[in-house]
Amino acid sequence: MNTAADHKQSITVKSDISDSAKVSDFLIEYIKSHQIDDETRDDLRLVTEETFVNISSYAFPDDISHTVTIEVTRDERDIHITFTDVGIAFNPLTYCEKNIGCTDHCEGGMGIHLIKSLTDRQEYKRIGQQNVFTVTKHYT
Amino acid sequence: MSLTIAVTAEANNGKRVSITGSLDSNTAPELQQTIDQEINDTVNTVIIDFKDLDFLSSAGLRVIFKAKKLVDGNSGKFILVNLQPQIKKVFEIIKALDGMNVFKDQDEMDEYLTAMQNKVIEGE
Repeated sequence: MNTAADHKQSITVKSDISDSAKVSDFLIEYIKSHQIDDETRDDLRLVTEETFVNISSYAFPDDISHTVTIEVTRDERDIHITFTDVGIAFNPLTYCEKNIGCTDHCEGGMGIHLIKSLTDRQEYKRIGQQNVFTVTKHYT
Repeated sequence: MSLTIAVTAEANNGKRVSITGSLDSNTAPELQQTIDQEINDTVNTVIIDFKDLDFLSSAGLRVIFKAKKLVDGNSGKFILVNLQPQIKKVFEIIKALDGMNVFKDQDEMDEYLTAMQNKVIEGE
C-alpha cells in the first residue's frame, strides 16, 4: 500500500505574485498524474492561488524576494497542501480580519473566505522562524 | 495561464467584454485596463461574457465588482452571461450573485434585453 510519503511532491518558488502560475501548473500536474477529479482540481487551484497571493502580499513586508515551498501529499481519502515560508508570523486565516479590519469582500478577505469554503480543514503553525499553513480536502 | 480579452459593440450603445482563459492575480490588471479604456458614461450596457473563462480568483472578482460599480454609477446595465459551473461556484461562495443580472446563455440574455428595450419604447 502506498503511503502519503510516497505521493509527496514539492516546488519552491519566489514569493512574487508572478510565480503563482508556476504553483498552479505544479498543482494541476500533480492532480492529473494522481487521477483526482476535475472539481477537486478546480477548487484546489483556486485555494492555492489565493493562499500563495496572500502569503506573497503580507508575509514579506521588506520587499525583498524570498521563497515559498509548496508541498502536496495525498492518502486514500484526502489531499494536503502545505505552504512553508520564512516571512514574519503570518496566519492567513486571521490576518485580514485582525490587521486590515475587513470582511469577505475586501482585499485578502475574499480569498480567505474562498479558502475556508473550498477545503475541509485549514491549519496554521509557527514553527521556529517558519510559517507552515496546511489545507486538506477530501477527493473522489 | 493567460487571459484574452475581446471587446465588441452591442446594440444601444452597449459593449460586450469577452474574457478567455484565466482571470487571476496576474491577469486581472489587463482586464482593469480594458475596462478603464472602454467603459464610460456613454456606454449604456456592459456585458461580461464568461463563455471561455476557465479560472477566476478573488483578484478577478474585484475587477468585476469595480466595473459593476462604475456602470451602476452611470445608470447603465451590467450583465454577466455564460458563467461556466466552476466560475458560477466562485460567485456563489461569496454570495455575489444577488443584485447582479446573470444569464445562463445568450438566448436568456437576449430575451431580457428585448423586454427592457420594449419597456423603453412603450414609455416613449
